Amino acid sequence: MSAAAAGKVDGGPAKDKTDPFRNKNELKASKKAAKRSRGSSHYRPKAPTELTQLPPLKDAATDQQELFVKKLQQCCVVFDFSDPVSDVKSKEIKRTCLNELVEYVTVTRGVLQDATYPEIIRMIACNIFRTLPPSDNPDFDPEEDDPTLEASWPHLQFVYEFFLRVLESPDFQPSVAKKYIDQRFVLQLLELFDSEDPRERDFLKTVLHRIYGKFLGLRAFIRKQINNIFLRFIYQTEQFNGVGELLEILGSIINGFALPLKAEHKQFLVKVLLPLHKAKSLGMFHAQLAYCVVQFLEKDATLTEQVVRGLLKFWPRTVSSKEVMYLGEMEEIMDVMEPGQFEKIMVPLFKQIAKSVSSSHFQVAERALFFWNNEYVTQLIDENNAVIMPILFPSFYRISREHWNQTIVALVYNVLKSFMEMNSKLFDELTNAYKAERQKERKREKDREDLLKKFEHLHIK
Amino acid sequence: MTATDSANEALYPIAVLIDELRNEDVQLRLNSVKKLSTIALALGVERTRTELIPFLTDTIYDEDEVLLTLAEQLGTFIPLVGGDQFAHVLLPPLESLATVEETVVRDKAVESLRKLAASHSPADLEAHFVPLVRRLANGDWFTSRTSACGLFSVCYERVGAAVKQQLRQHFSNLCTDDTPMVRRAAAGKIGELAQVVEPEFVRSELLPMFKQLMADEQDSVRLLAVESAVILARLLGPEDTDKLMMKSLRSAVDDKSWRVRYMVADKLTELQSALGAELTQRYLVEAFQALLKDPEAEVRAVSASKVRDFCVNLEASEAERTNIALNSILPAVKDLAGDANQHVKSALASVVMGLSPLLGKEHTVEQLLPLFLTQLKDECPEVRLNIISNLEAVNSVIGIKQLSMSLLPAIVELAEDSKWRVRLAIIQYMPLLASQLGSQFFDEKLNQLCMGWLVDHVFAIREAAVLNLRKLVEAFGSDWALSTVIPKVAELAVDTNYLHRMVCLFCVTELNSACPPDMVRAHLLPIVLKMASDTVPNVRFKVAQTLQQLAASFDAEVFEQQVKPCLDSLAGDADIDVQFFACEALEAIREKF
Repeated sequence: MSAAAAGKVDGGPAKDKTDPFRNKNELKASKKAAKRSRGSSHYRPKAPTELTQLPPLKDAATDQQELFVKKLQQCCVVFDFSDPVSDVKSKEIKRTCLNELVEYVTVTRGVLQDATYPEIIRMIACNIFRTLPPSDNPDFDPEEDDPTLEASWPHLQFVYEFFLRVLESPDFQPSVAKKYIDQRFVLQLLELFDSEDPRERDFLKTVLHRIYGKFLGLRAFIRKQINNIFLRFIYQTEQFNGVGELLEILGSIINGFALPLKAEHKQFLVKVLLPLHKAKSLGMFHAQLAYCVVQFLEKDATLTEQVVRGLLKFWPRTVSSKEVMYLGEMEEIMDVMEPGQFEKIMVPLFKQIAKSVSSSHFQVAERALFFWNNEYVTQLIDENNAVIMPILFPSFYRISREHWNQTIVALVYNVLKSFMEMNSKLFDELTNAYKAERQKERKREKDREDLLKKFEHLHIK
Repeated sequence: MTATDSANEALYPIAVLIDELRNEDVQLRLNSVKKLSTIALALGVERTRTELIPFLTDTIYDEDEVLLTLAEQLGTFIPLVGGDQFAHVLLPPLESLATVEETVVRDKAVESLRKLAASHSPADLEAHFVPLVRRLANGDWFTSRTSACGLFSVCYERVGAAVKQQLRQHFSNLCTDDTPMVRRAAAGKIGELAQVVEPEFVRSELLPMFKQLMADEQDSVRLLAVESAVILARLLGPEDTDKLMMKSLRSAVDDKSWRVRYMVADKLTELQSALGAELTQRYLVEAFQALLKDPEAEVRAVSASKVRDFCVNLEASEAERTNIALNSILPAVKDLAGDANQHVKSALASVVMGLSPLLGKEHTVEQLLPLFLTQLKDECPEVRLNIISNLEAVNSVIGIKQLSMSLLPAIVELAEDSKWRVRLAIIQYMPLLASQLGSQFFDEKLNQLCMGWLVDHVFAIREAAVLNLRKLVEAFGSDWALSTVIPKVAELAVDTNYLHRMVCLFCVTELNSACPPDMVRAHLLPIVLKMASDTVPNVRFKVAQTLQQLAASFDAEVFEQQVKPCLDSLAGDADIDVQFFACEALEAIREKF
């Protein structure tokens, strides 16, 4: 089930993005504004030169490679797509040229010679590396709004396509390419994951994955930089569109980690992946995140306690939609949990579940109650009923009488019934003790209030 | 009961409260932490130092919310631990808090530490505070190193030369930290540190660090360095800035990231004052022109909002200033007025009027007025609104007459704008226009608009229109009211829409203070009395309220003969609210006579 969760993530809409460079009034103003036309994100003060059509590669008999390089150089010219009528002819020449390049590296063998690598990488860098423009719509709602699409996509698409074909070509030699695809290159590539255009992020995901696979020397660096992006996202800006894509790559990276896990990787889980759950836009990448977390636990079950306690620490207090996601993730985690690990965390975990079941938001309560549809989870509960029942009983008993939603009441009844079957003696004891407990609780509360009053008094004195 | 017993009794709640610090419920722990000063007070300074603070240091693993409160409280704890000489006992818990993950907690801990630093003696700083800074600066995880960046400036000044050198070295390491988060923090604090570092070391050590940050591979680092650049430039003075920093600054103007350029534009006027007149004219005017033409709308918008301040701050002779504004800035401004981005136009519209006093009457009429007119017709209401709200500046330069002649058609158009905020802004300008234009001109051109607003479908507009009416009457006198306003009010009294009838009563209340009592009696009172039999209860109780308001304008006789019978009948109304307000009015008026 965890694999399925990570499956459907391609091209998810961009996440909510609030621009820190605008004040509130401006934000309001631009919200009301009609959609602006998107400027090209290339910062390019000089006007591009006009292109002249080169002969097709397939017609060149002898100096095909030379023409290939010429075409690469021609494609380094970048055009302004915010103005649809400028340079129409040159844009078309470049488009055809790029298209031809894609085909050429796909079908022709022996094109990737040592001398062509710098030209290839230069062409790619010229086109894709740019400072992304500010978000068009600061109140972007991924559920409602369409992401702003990159204006220069007609060219960018071919450039990415070309890049992928090069990386996947049987002739491709990482040992030569590593001179050009270096740390600086990767860093710029990672910045692009913030693109609002899901098509671009999708290409980037595959590209980065290939680079991670082929360039062993860059792996640690890539992981570290992704770390930095996530930390900035969590603690500083709360905006980055490509978190989901990066997590998807990480999911397969984690899958390949050797055992025992290195301290660096464990730190990544605890200090980065778990705090990622705090993000406001969790919904945009939760499936991928949960997949990564479960991957870690499948690798090393001893991490269970840390992960569960981490999630309980960040447990959402007000956002019910997030709470539903947490509950979902918790079920995935319990699915892979060893009974020994379960015993370590069941007390705090089921205290939280008792709270979630008591939520007045019926979706939260319902999601928590769905745990009892999971055979493995109910088996774990059954095995530890002496501990878990007393934790859950008071809430369940109260809900069975008080909850406004009939579906919840019915589900709770079923659970209570299962408790009765599990351990009827304990059930009777709990039922009898319920009233007394409530009274004690009330007394404790009163004592506390008295105490606080005493304090006020003390403070005034 | 002995003294110890009573002391124990006083301490008992403390024990419970300390117990609460461990309670399962976050809210209870939070309550308890909020009462920390009470606990400390009860324990006394000695036990606070030896028991409470170590206890707190050990319990730091809590919810962020609790930690945040703790960090805040500890900053105010010096009196509770026995005064300045014991300030250092508060450092250990704050040190742990400065390393936690959550930014708000860390920031608060740093804030408290900064407060505490001032209470340390130089010896204590070296013995306790500096080692803490050193430990944080060498921390494993980025959080502690980030926190360290904010602590250098508060301890640097009062420590010995050798320690100072160490501190500079640590800061330098943070500027080249592996983690961008730490470099960002350093870039944000380098200016602050420079203010307390000796000038020679600013030049020899901090400047190279600054340049490195300005050339950082991450734009988020570079843009924070731009903020610090202002302070550095101010410290160095124009001559050294030119020699040592100008290259970095100029590269920021041309940075490939719009965020950095945005920051330069945002800090432009501050840079301007830091750089001084000569450098401003040599470099900044040109830089500003470029920023006003930036390819990124975001940058153009913030630049546009600086147009006025930049020109005002130009330190030059008046002629020269006008010359720069006119020849260097205005051409770019004119382009912005037609910008494709409404954000940019709106930013410009909010300041562009301010250029008028700088340019003088002739240039305003020639150069600016056409610009205003274009912007007043802009398709975006924000732009129009910003222009109207700033008419005053132009008014003082070219006079209302000329202004209104050129602007009148635009104003009339705006008066009927579909955005009610735009209409509201226009209404607020009416009294000013009216007093300057005279009643004749007003009657011809604007009167109808003002009356039309009384029945606007937005309440805020109706309300503003009523107030406007009073101001107009104050300006034009009661005769004008009698001939122009009162007939309109009487008309509203019999309108079929009850909301309009309500407006009539609002008008009466407002006009009451602007018209002489005999006029109120003769013309307004009858209107109100007639409305007492309205079919809508809201109107009826408004009548009662209005009568109460009018009490100042009639005597006991009028009250007995006309008002009282009316209020009496309202007091017996079927509607409970009407009864209430009628009785209230009766009572209030009776008190008066």
